[in-house]
Amino acid sequence: MRTKRVRSVAVAAVVAAGLALVVSACGGGGSSGGNTTTTSAQGKTFANLKVVWGPTDYLDPGLSYKLESWQIFQDVYLGLVDKRYGTCGVGAGCTKIIPAIAQSLPKSNSDGTDLKFTLRKGLKYSNGESVKASDFKNTIIRDFKLNSPGIGFFSNIVGIASCEANPTKCKSISGIIVNDQAGTVEIKLMKPQSDFLYILTTFFAALVPSSTPQKDTENPPPAADGPYYFSSYKPNHSWVAQRNPHWKPIPGIPNGNPDKITATLSGDQSRSAQLVQSNQVDYDENTLPADRLKQLQSKYGPQIHLWRTASTNYFFMNERTKPFNNIKARQAVNYAINRQTLVNLYGGLGTPTWNFLPPTYPQYKKLTPTPYPYNLQKAKQLVQQSGTKGMTIGVYTESDFQNRKAAGEYLQGQLNKIGWHAVMHELSSANYFVIVGNQKTKAQIGFDDWFEDYPYPTDWFTVLQYGPNIHQIHNNNNSNVDFKDTNSTINHLGTLPPGQAFSASTDNAWANLDKTLMLKYTSEAPFLNEVITSFFSTRMNPQCDIFTDLFSDAAQMCLK
Amino acid sequence: MATPGTTQEEFTLDTAAELAAEEGGSKIEGKSPWVLAGRRLRRNYTALAFLGIFLLVLFLCFVFAPVYSSQLSHVGPDDENASGVIHENGKTIHVISQGGSTFSGTGQVHLKAGGIPIGPQLGASGVAYFFGADQQGRDIGTRLLYGGRNTLFIGIVAAVICTVVAILLALLAAYFGGASDWIISRAFDLIWAFPVILLGIALGTALNINGFHHGPINIAAGSLWIPTFVIAFVFIPYIGRPLRGQVLALRNREFIEASTAQGAGPLRIMFTELLPNIASSVLVLFTLIVANAILTEVALSFLGAGVQPPKPSWGTMIADGQTFLSSDPWFAILPGIMITITVISLNVFGDGLRDALDPRAKVKMEH
Repeated sequence: MRTKRVRSVAVAAVVAAGLALVVSACGGGGSSGGNTTTTSAQGKTFANLKVVWGPTDYLDPGLSYKLESWQIFQDVYLGLVDKRYGTCGVGAGCTKIIPAIAQSLPKSNSDGTDLKFTLRKGLKYSNGESVKASDFKNTIIRDFKLNSPGIGFFSNIVGIASCEANPTKCKSISGIIVNDQAGTVEIKLMKPQSDFLYILTTFFAALVPSSTPQKDTENPPPAADGPYYFSSYKPNHSWVAQRNPHWKPIPGIPNGNPDKITATLSGDQSRSAQLVQSNQVDYDENTLPADRLKQLQSKYGPQIHLWRTASTNYFFMNERTKPFNNIKARQAVNYAINRQTLVNLYGGLGTPTWNFLPPTYPQYKKLTPTPYPYNLQKAKQLVQQSGTKGMTIGVYTESDFQNRKAAGEYLQGQLNKIGWHAVMHELSSANYFVIVGNQKTKAQIGFDDWFEDYPYPTDWFTVLQYGPNIHQIHNNNNSNVDFKDTNSTINHLGTLPPGQAFSASTDNAWANLDKTLMLKYTSEAPFLNEVITSFFSTRMNPQCDIFTDLFSDAAQMCLK
Repeated sequence: MATPGTTQEEFTLDTAAELAAEEGGSKIEGKSPWVLAGRRLRRNYTALAFLGIFLLVLFLCFVFAPVYSSQLSHVGPDDENASGVIHENGKTIHVISQGGSTFSGTGQVHLKAGGIPIGPQLGASGVAYFFGADQQGRDIGTRLLYGGRNTLFIGIVAAVICTVVAILLALLAAYFGGASDWIISRAFDLIWAFPVILLGIALGTALNINGFHHGPINIAAGSLWIPTFVIAFVFIPYIGRPLRGQVLALRNREFIEASTAQGAGPLRIMFTELLPNIASSVLVLFTLIVANAILTEVALSFLGAGVQPPKPSWGTMIADGQTFLSSDPWFAILPGIMITITVISLNVFGDGLRDALDPRAKVKMEH
């Protein structure tokens, strides 16, 4: 769920999803998982990479749930396993799971509920402490003590109940068995869980030393087991990452080209683009401002990279409130929005969509023919038929992101055109999802988006479209989607035996689920899959821009 | 005569001799202070010119706006037209430029940048989009006039509410003294302790989510009355405190004692004796508060805590326009110019009014 914003979670009670290990992991063992070495090319190292970076939330992996933090964490904090450090959608891509701190993918039983890892030997953190098996267990316990937004990810581990009941007093988890002498970690799950290895790639499971204080630790951030560590962090101002002096190369994990990465934090798209234009910094992490795209593209074309993301921008429609408890009202919204116009409002940085799942997924099947072509007349008729014409509707959106603000205001205009009286609520992005995700707000309709946490459909359907995962606060299922048959399907697809989770028939079943939710129930109004930009100074070689699952990898950037 | 506890102004009562001196020896016998003030104001051509400018702005926003919308631009201020086109010299032009991304088999993304609203047409397509369109394809000219209407409405009405409440509180506090004075003065201090903008943001944001629904008062979220009341509230001590000081100075004067001796009650004294004597200061403070309320409305709307979209205000227009500064600077500059003209005209006229009503008073707002 990395998004370009914070999502605190009760989330991910990814819980119920359950099941099956990633095919490549099944019965795994032995080998190093077919990883390709992505270490830096000889002679590409350089002293300092200066970047302008969007504001981070925390630089503590136990607490952070924001893309801007996770994007740099990929070079700092490693878990037992990791996702491949390659460009997504190109060649071998970025979805394959590789061993990181573990020397191989886990050995597991037939249903994938007992995973055994063995750690690589001789690894050390940036503070000189040795990496121990018990650090993994203590990291998960620390997540609970911090009341981390990621604790919902671990609710399928045996013995987790007491920690879930009282997170800050979590002391032990019986389902995680470690042996420091042998360097082994065994994780026992209550039931199969198809996406569990992907969950271990999130930074909530990235190892930090057992000596790390069990509180928000950011000055400095916790010691790192990756190729870089944070040598300084000034919230809302800057951070500096330097080479980990104790780093021992791991196949598949880039050693990194810059000796130091110096980041200036700014969310101002125009300012950050200007800093790159004037060569004051080498890389702009923020997406370029829509109104300057054309100008910048014509002048700095080769220095700009464009990337499609595994994301969907959509309008949620709260099915627990009028008028959207009526399917005709939800259909009316889908007919009333011109998706191409919304793409225009994003400066062209996106493609229209009617699916909920993004096209980057193998489980994606484009809905054809276009299910809800722009048709205001039909939308008006549906509003009339729903018996809700003239109703006042609150439209929510974020006020400080140009695209999202524009999308929300566009929606409001369209709702007024089809017979409702839409009232705008523009909220700061800092608390937008907290307010909208609180059932007491009773937000009827508004902007929503999702960027994947990991490349499996449970991240979309279990978190966002699954009835049992509706929460009173910090709710991510803002539409309160809760249909018996789709709940059952999601549960079923999450509990298939290993080996079936990635089969063609399972992929088809996920695609059908997408279709059912979007056509039979019109549970959301998806409108585009986002494209983002990387902008480099003239001294940088944009060919080294590796766009991983966590976006551009700063460690692999190189000079011309 | 300086009044204890009021450093904001120095209030004097003109004697006949003093007034005569001010009038350069011209006859003042039989003339009321208001007539004299009017005479002084008529001689201040600068103040009158700026009053004229302010009235012109009022005319444009309140009278001309609907005419412009219905007869010239043919669109309302909130009419979104992001998918629309216009025709110029046989050419079709999209109100918002078309864009999109396509992908090659190798994963490469090809972008056609779009999303730029049409710029000022300056008559090329009739009056439509004379000043261009905003990011939703709405006509900037129409929104500029209606935005001014909202901004001025909030500024003026907030100033009226604020002034009326402040007068009442100042009269109550200063006339009765004691506990009522202590309570009202501490309430003024409490509000004064918060910076105007911060307090405005806090109240505006909170009230704009669900509106205000308590007892018989029901204000819907997004209503113009929310910023109006918020602004009126935050400025109350800025008028209330100086007025309280003036009333404190007056309440022990002989004419009040005489009135009391004649059996006048508190209400009669407050409204027929004290109020007329502070009227000149009220008028001057009112003009200053209008200008400040307008600026506060603009600031709150710019920050998202004032007028809520799609309703226009000059503040929201600047906020919307700032993202297009490089491609369409007029989008943000035009409302900025209108704010500058309005506030300068009010301030210059306010200065002239102050000079006319009480040439030696130093009534001013302090922040």
